[in-house]
Amino acid sequence: MAINKRHSAVRLLWSLFLLAFLMAMPALTGNDSLLAQESSAARAEPGPPNTLGKRSDAEIWHDLRLGAGGIANPPTGSREAGAVINAEGWEWAKLRNPEKSPIVHYGAWGLLAILGLLVLFYLIRGPVGHGEDSGRRILRFRLSQRVVHWSIAFVFILMGLTGLSILFGRPFILPLIGKEAHSILLTAAMQAHNLFGPIFALFLLGLFVHFLRGNFPSLVDIKWLLKGGGFFGGHAPAGRYNLGEKAWFWTAVIAGGALSVTGFLMLFPDYLATRNTIHLSELIHAIAALVMIGFSLGHIYLGTIGTRGTLKGMVDGYVDENWARAHHDRWLEEELEKAESGDQARETAEEGA
Amino acid sequence: MTSDTTEKHRSFDKQRDLPDEVRVENAMAGFVAEFGPKAQSWMNACVRCGLCAEACHFYLATGEEKYTPIHKIKPFEDAYALTHGPFSWLHGLLGRKPKLTIEELEEWEELIYDSCNMCGRCTLACPMGIDIASLVKDARRGMYAAGLLPDRLARIVRNAEKQHSPFGSPEDFRKTIKEIEREYGIPLPLDKPKADVLMTLTPEALENRHFGVASMARVLHHLGLDWTFCSDAFEATNFGYLSGNMELQGALTVRLIDKAREIGASMLIVPECGHAWGATRWEAAKWYGAPVDDIRIRHIVEVLADAVEDGKLECRPVGESATFHDPCQQIRRGGLEEKPRILMRALGMELREMDPHGLDAFCCGGGGGVLANERAGPLRLKAFELKKRAVEETGADHFVTSCNICEMTLGRDIEATGFDKQIESLIDLIGANMITDQPPLKAPGRGAKPKGAGKRAAGAKKAGKGRSATRRKPAAKK
Amino acid sequence: MTLLELLEGPLWIASASIFVVFAAFRLIVILFTGRREAEARPVGSPFLGALRTILGHFLPWRRLLGNGKAWFVTIAGYSFHIGLFVLLLFAAPHVEFIREKIVNLPWDPIPRWGFILSAQFAFAGLITLWVRRFVDPVVRLISRPDDHVAAGLTFIVMLTGCMALGEQSAFLRGLHLGLVELWLIYFPFSSLMHTFTWPFSRGFTGAMAGRRGTRA
Ligand code: HEM
Ligand code: HEM
Ligand code: HEM
Ligand code: SF4
Ligand code: SF4
Repeated sequence: MAINKRHSAVRLLWSLFLLAFLMAMPALTGNDSLLAQESSAARAEPGPPNTLGKRSDAEIWHDLRLGAGGIANPPTGSREAGAVINAEGWEWAKLRNPEKSPIVHYGAWGLLAILGLLVLFYLIRGPVGHGEDSGRRILRFRLSQRVVHWSIAFVFILMGLTGLSILFGRPFILPLIGKEAHSILLTAAMQAHNLFGPIFALFLLGLFVHFLRGNFPSLVDIKWLLKGGGFFGGHAPAGRYNLGEKAWFWTAVIAGGALSVTGFLMLFPDYLATRNTIHLSELIHAIAALVMIGFSLGHIYLGTIGTRGTLKGMVDGYVDENWARAHHDRWLEEELEKAESGDQARETAEEGA
Repeated sequence: MTSDTTEKHRSFDKQRDLPDEVRVENAMAGFVAEFGPKAQSWMNACVRCGLCAEACHFYLATGEEKYTPIHKIKPFEDAYALTHGPFSWLHGLLGRKPKLTIEELEEWEELIYDSCNMCGRCTLACPMGIDIASLVKDARRGMYAAGLLPDRLARIVRNAEKQHSPFGSPEDFRKTIKEIEREYGIPLPLDKPKADVLMTLTPEALENRHFGVASMARVLHHLGLDWTFCSDAFEATNFGYLSGNMELQGALTVRLIDKAREIGASMLIVPECGHAWGATRWEAAKWYGAPVDDIRIRHIVEVLADAVEDGKLECRPVGESATFHDPCQQIRRGGLEEKPRILMRALGMELREMDPHGLDAFCCGGGGGVLANERAGPLRLKAFELKKRAVEETGADHFVTSCNICEMTLGRDIEATGFDKQIESLIDLIGANMITDQPPLKAPGRGAKPKGAGKRAAGAKKAGKGRSATRRKPAAKK
Repeated sequence: MTLLELLEGPLWIASASIFVVFAAFRLIVILFTGRREAEARPVGSPFLGALRTILGHFLPWRRLLGNGKAWFVTIAGYSFHIGLFVLLLFAAPHVEFIREKIVNLPWDPIPRWGFILSAQFAFAGLITLWVRRFVDPVVRLISRPDDHVAAGLTFIVMLTGCMALGEQSAFLRGLHLGLVELWLIYFPFSSLMHTFTWPFSRGFTGAMAGRRGTRA
């Protein structure tokens, strides 16, 4: 029974659960108390001193922005005690203005452009094949890899749909469905988005450890690139993952990581961040989301209708040998060598099950 | 690394000449007859988690998902859904009789008969405690009624029905008992009108294991029991139990117990067999509608172990190390876990347990009628690899068991794989090494070489110094 | 009558009644109909055997302690079920609803963060378990449509519940409640009945083992 290898993966999953738990604990507890603290603080403290104007206006504004101490007293838990007005907020407001924001503007066009390119590519090139099936199968993804992959894919789509509603809701959805429906949609989207965020972060960690192996750059990648990835005819050599996949992996990890970190900052603002970091977080969050969603469109295209036989690998775990020869020839060679040098066939079959 | 995609192959036999519709109807009726609180609770509790697969040697040995235990009873479950499911009343309203398809039944014949030993290992792994072994047995009733069972099993069932036992008629039995008496020079009480103990046997013992019969007799004599064989109730195995022929199962059990009552016995002894223990000790009550309280149904291993504990039976120390194969129906499903171990200790053997052993042990692969079903041979051999590895890991000198079916199965698999261990019978070891005033067993004379027992008798003498040569030719094909 | 009033009034009563009546009915059919047979004279106690199995099978079988799948099912399974029970019975809106419509629960609701955390555990467990139904060849083979519908309905109920967390919109509340009602109606006829059948399933097996002087 060669099941011990799966064991370690599961141990890992478990520790991730615990980790998420610990991360969420202190932060969550603070959430409710924000309003209460703010109002009681406002009531209990005296107003700003020096109201008789012994200081210059410039000085006062300076204090209001940067918090010279004693002028005002925002929430005690906050990192920016003392500051009342945030001047950078103006810049942020411009970027986030739903109607004119460049993020919304370029984001929408960018995603549309990617979709358009994919459709065009599909129409011209069609699905990439690998000739006849050989009838021999080879294990590509273990069960735990498959579970982690589809779990995060599922949550990613949920996060994407709810997140895009929040980003694009006002300019694109509101005119279509009216104010009331839009407000319902948005509160629903926001609640779901907030609740699934930590789950996404958890699964992302799982994705990272399950797919790291094979995703480091190598020399073959240059050859692969020179051959245009085989997308325009011809054969492009590749190891376990090709350059495109490696790029996707690291994009998912880095952008996903950025999404998770900035997401946490925004979930628990008074404990983790200042107003400026929150603003920055929002920008990074939106940009990272757009980058990741954009890339994911390509990934999903290639994983489904773009290349024949690829999806099977992520569902059953096995791919046809000829598929591997066409898309990941170096990897196939290694695996076949391993199989010859040891009696591993049985073991891998069990792992795949 | 690379493995061939497995092809779907069909393998099923058909018994009797029935139109397909009748087969389907019979199957449905047979399945429905088994629905009751237990089966219904079990079927309604399954959450499809798949853990049962991780316990089944057939799945573990092949990695083929179709050997997932709960999958093996799909037609039975489907029949339940059709007749008792949430929408079954709709069929009634529409005046329809819901049915399975003949194709499904044919396809499942292999899973229900070839790939389940009813060993109950999966039960332990199931989070819901679902007893799939019982459900497979229930499902066989419908399959039998449909005439969808392996040829070989069907033939043995017909033999059992027609001529008393798969071994033969009462006349054959009497002849063989006389023959064993002559071979080993031991009196074998036969057809005593009154006796305190009714002793039964397996066909395998009568055909190929005469030394075992003599050994058991010698121990019973030694214990001073008033016992007898009966030529019209000697068969302990129950091919009704294994095949799903419930009438036969009932008839065979009732025959034994009625006979015991007739001769005024207070005890019925089940020989070295597993499913006979299940059928007689644990399922007899269902044919009488009440527990059988007047007759103690005991297993030979239990009788001997109790004698050892009571100080009535002692053995010369055999020494050396041994590992014990746990027959599922005696141990996991029979409650006798400690008994054979008491006997191993009495033999002075160093017991090296396999991993897994006891309640968790792997089945030999032949139980539940699978051995009788030649078609299942190749699959069985794959499952044997698990057992073989476990035995090898103990490094023990002897490989011992207490069930004729396990012994035959393991013997054949050892032969087929060239494994360098022999399987030995616990009772034979006791018979050869017990300390007693009983006259020694005569070595069978030259010339009239008795079936398969030549070396065994010789081994009996040498047993004191270890390895009793119990190797013998593979059991003759029936 | 608005749709929400309908959902909170007659439809709630109807679906809750269907749930109670049919779940009870199905349990009665399961436990009291069909073949029963006399049992053999016991060697051990069937009752203790049953108890042992009912409790013992909460933990994975000792032979599967080195088995990744068993760990996965155990951890994800408990994550899902415990998360679900906590949010079902201890979340403020649920406590309030149960107090208003069914019984006056003696306990106080847990704080909001506890509610959200248990929902996250429940979701993480359910999603991974459900995903496995598609990618594990064993589980895919044995899964029936019912298993997917049960998981899917439970998921949707939970999803709409978490979307209603803002507690600002009658629509979302109605959506959640409506799906809860659908779920209640589906429940007695589906594999969700394992909520009630598990002690009997384990119990029968344990009693058999106890009677025979063995363990299961
Ligand atoms: C519905 C959406 C998705 C589909 C249909 C899909 C499909 C696939 C397929 C078929 C493969 C196997 C490729 C191969 O054999 O080389 C794959 C690999 C992979 N997928 Fe996805 N996927 C989806 C979403 C995602 C998401 C959301 C993520 C990350 C957050 C992701 C991360 C990965 C990674 C890391 C790999 C391994 C290859 C690599 O390193 O790039 N996938 N996916
Ligand atoms: C104490 C009672 C319960 C026990 C012992 C129990 C046990 C289990 C087990 C062992 C599984 C299998 C996990 C797997 O798929 O591998 C499962 C699945 C499931 N249970 Fe329960 N359960 C209980 C109560 C409930 C309740 C009250 C609900 C309903 C809200 C429920 C809903 C589900 C669902 C939807 C699944 C399927 C998850 C999947 O897709 O795999 N269970 N349960
Ligand atoms: C993640 C899971 C869940 C969350 C986050 C959740 C959340 C909520 C919230 C926030 C409400 C109040 C809605 C409002 O007042 O606007 C609510 C109400 C309710 N929930 Fe859930 N819920 C979840 C799962 C479930 C499940 C599984 C059930 C039952 C099977 C359930 C049954 C109910 C009922 C009956 C109400 C009362 C509806 C009403 O007041 O109109 N919930 N839930
Ligand atoms: S009873 Fe034994 S042989 Fe049958 S399915 Fe269960 S583990 Fe496999
Ligand atoms: S282990 Fe039990 S609950 Fe799980 S699939 Fe098998 S029979 Fe069903």
